[in-house]
Amino acid sequence: MIMARALGIISFSENHVWVDGLEDHRSIAAFTFLGRYRVVDFPISNMSNSGIDRIQVYIRSSPQSLVGHIGTGRHFNINSKSGYVRMMFTESLQEHDYYNTDVKAYYSNLEHIENTSNEYVVIAPGYMVYTEDFDALLKNHIESEADITVLYHSVDNAKEAYQSCFCLNLNRQKGVESIEQNNGKVKNRNISMDTYVMRKDLFVDLLKEAKKTSSMYTLRMIINDKCSELDVRGVAHRGFFAPFTDFKAYYDGNMALADLKTAQNLFNASWPIYTRTSDSCPTQYSDTAVVKKSFLANGCKVDGTVENSVVGRDCVIKPGAVVKNCILLTNVTIGEGVHIEGQVVDKNAKITKVKEILADPEHPGYVHRSDLV
Amino acid sequence: MKQNNMLAMILAGGRGSRLHELTNKVAKPAVAYGGKYKIIDFPLSNCANSGVDVVGVLTQYESVLLNSYVAGGSSWGLDARDSGVFVLPPREKADANLNVYRGTADAISQNIDFVDSYDPEYILILSGDHIYKMNYAKMLQYHKENNADATIAVIEVPMKEASRFGIMNTDTETGQIVEFEEKPEHPKSNLASMGIYIFNWKPLRKMLVADMKNDESNHDFGKDIIPTMLNEGKRLFAYKFKGYWKDVGTIDSLWEANMDLLDPKNGLDLDDRTWKIYTEDIPTFPQYISEDADVKNAYITQGCVVEGEVRNSVLFTGAKVGEGAKVYDSVLMPGASVAPGAVLNRVIIADNVKIGNQAVVGSKDSEHIELVSKNVKGVE
Repeated sequence: MIMARALGIISFSENHVWVDGLEDHRSIAAFTFLGRYRVVDFPISNMSNSGIDRIQVYIRSSPQSLVGHIGTGRHFNINSKSGYVRMMFTESLQEHDYYNTDVKAYYSNLEHIENTSNEYVVIAPGYMVYTEDFDALLKNHIESEADITVLYHSVDNAKEAYQSCFCLNLNRQKGVESIEQNNGKVKNRNISMDTYVMRKDLFVDLLKEAKKTSSMYTLRMIINDKCSELDVRGVAHRGFFAPFTDFKAYYDGNMALADLKTAQNLFNASWPIYTRTSDSCPTQYSDTAVVKKSFLANGCKVDGTVENSVVGRDCVIKPGAVVKNCILLTNVTIGEGVHIEGQVVDKNAKITKVKEILADPEHPGYVHRSDLV
Repeated sequence: MKQNNMLAMILAGGRGSRLHELTNKVAKPAVAYGGKYKIIDFPLSNCANSGVDVVGVLTQYESVLLNSYVAGGSSWGLDARDSGVFVLPPREKADANLNVYRGTADAISQNIDFVDSYDPEYILILSGDHIYKMNYAKMLQYHKENNADATIAVIEVPMKEASRFGIMNTDTETGQIVEFEEKPEHPKSNLASMGIYIFNWKPLRKMLVADMKNDESNHDFGKDIIPTMLNEGKRLFAYKFKGYWKDVGTIDSLWEANMDLLDPKNGLDLDDRTWKIYTEDIPTFPQYISEDADVKNAYITQGCVVEGEVRNSVLFTGAKVGEGAKVYDSVLMPGASVAPGAVLNRVIIADNVKIGNQAVVGSKDSEHIELVSKNVKGVE
């Protein structure tokens, strides 16, 4: 194995991003995805599969859940001697703190970035789900002789979705002219995937410059400032893309995979997505189970009806219960005769007394962690 | 080794010829079971949960698959500094032509140097092909309380089947073993040996050294070591086990053991969070049940995609059931795939075997379960 050329950096979201409900309990990177994964499994697996073996995961707030999940990092198929998956903290771990920027986090760990032998950095968000071969992206970046490569995804529904995302304004040569917030006025946009490739020394220079410019500056802001001065190039991503930058985006990102073809687009045997195993037993379906168009994790007991839903680990669906258009996180119980639709039910919640909680998938509801309903 | 000074040796040697093609490529302990497990996960997880953290796995054949499966022991948490899982095939030695384990006792004898390197006070001998959950720490406690030279785990079997087992005749008050009978024609008790033994290592070591030189011996615990100890008046005790225990020696019993999991009240309770059975972690997506699927009374694990009908069946990691296919009373091993329209009844489909379009396999009236270990062509 040759030494990877790039250091992997997994970033946290800017502080205008907030996922209602779920983010009260953990950072977006630690959100459960499709019943089995955490969001951060995707960027880490992308890096691991691309031969990047030094991965720094930056944490803005609520570290506990993420720290528990990443642990030693050995389950991400990284050599634990020559490489690592390391959690990187900043001094203040407050939410909604405008000073708590990614630049500040990188800066306070600057020696860990500068001291590595890697020539390049690949920065990927810990709050978006997609697969991408970063090794190919790095090669492409080197061949293009660009200063910075930014990954983007072209969409035709930027009016309704991607509200907290940024867009790349590209010229004909795929040069990035500016990065602006999605204002929801145009339907066809190139959504920035907040994924950057550049030389490490340029990255460090940008951090220094951002710090000099403003104590609230983020990496995205300084790159935007540099678009005219530097050669910043956009590269289009194809395949499944789900940024979890608001509650509806989290709901839609999970539900999109209830379609098998879409799911097969994300999961490919040659590109494994690693996660921490919980050693749950397989899922048990009884004589009364009715399950349609759904993903289920292991450890569940299904006696009721589940339709167009994502069911997390160790959930119990009692006889006569109906679960439709829902996302159940880990260890949720839906009691006898309870009918729920269009809900995200957080970890350890038990719905037994209230017999009906219905919401339209366009405006999904949320049941809090460990709530008894 | 620090926890209870007991080292475990799992006898995983047998090729399991009655399991036919399932064991052509893998040793019997590496045969898949219960959706996501392998048979050897049970003794290994029992060891991990009982605080027995050094385990030797004795294989008659150099088994690359089994070796890589247990390597490192991290799947069962047996990877701390003082822990480990070691595959120990027979080793050719300069002073003797020992390239095969001549019996269960010989398998330990040939690895005396391995055991000595840990200097344990007790040694636990296990069989690699039984499905059960057992706390070996409790058995060790019983062993110590009785000041025993050896303790043998036993299970009550129906009296009329007792002649198929090694039977322990005990003093009913103390549990001390007075007689051991291998497959007795007229059994006096229904306490069958489970092939699980605890010995004090130093005295056993002496016996094994003597046994190795004895040309008359079968070098077997049941046939030689236990009878010799009884003859010498040693204190042997029977430790009664209650709970689910299954020897999966045949295709029918392997199928039955899988079907047992469909009953939520089965005694094995793999969902017991206080005694988890650990296994290899395979990266696959969760299980997917499609719009047109119909799944009832089934036990299904991650990576499966079901688009057809599944009844009374167990689906292992990554198994696929195509549209309109019917899978009844069957077991689909890892990676098995059933093409659209195929019909399965009372079969075990071996790992990665493909059943073609509209193919009909097995029969609901069959006396025995059919093992399908080769691809079945579809109907044109």
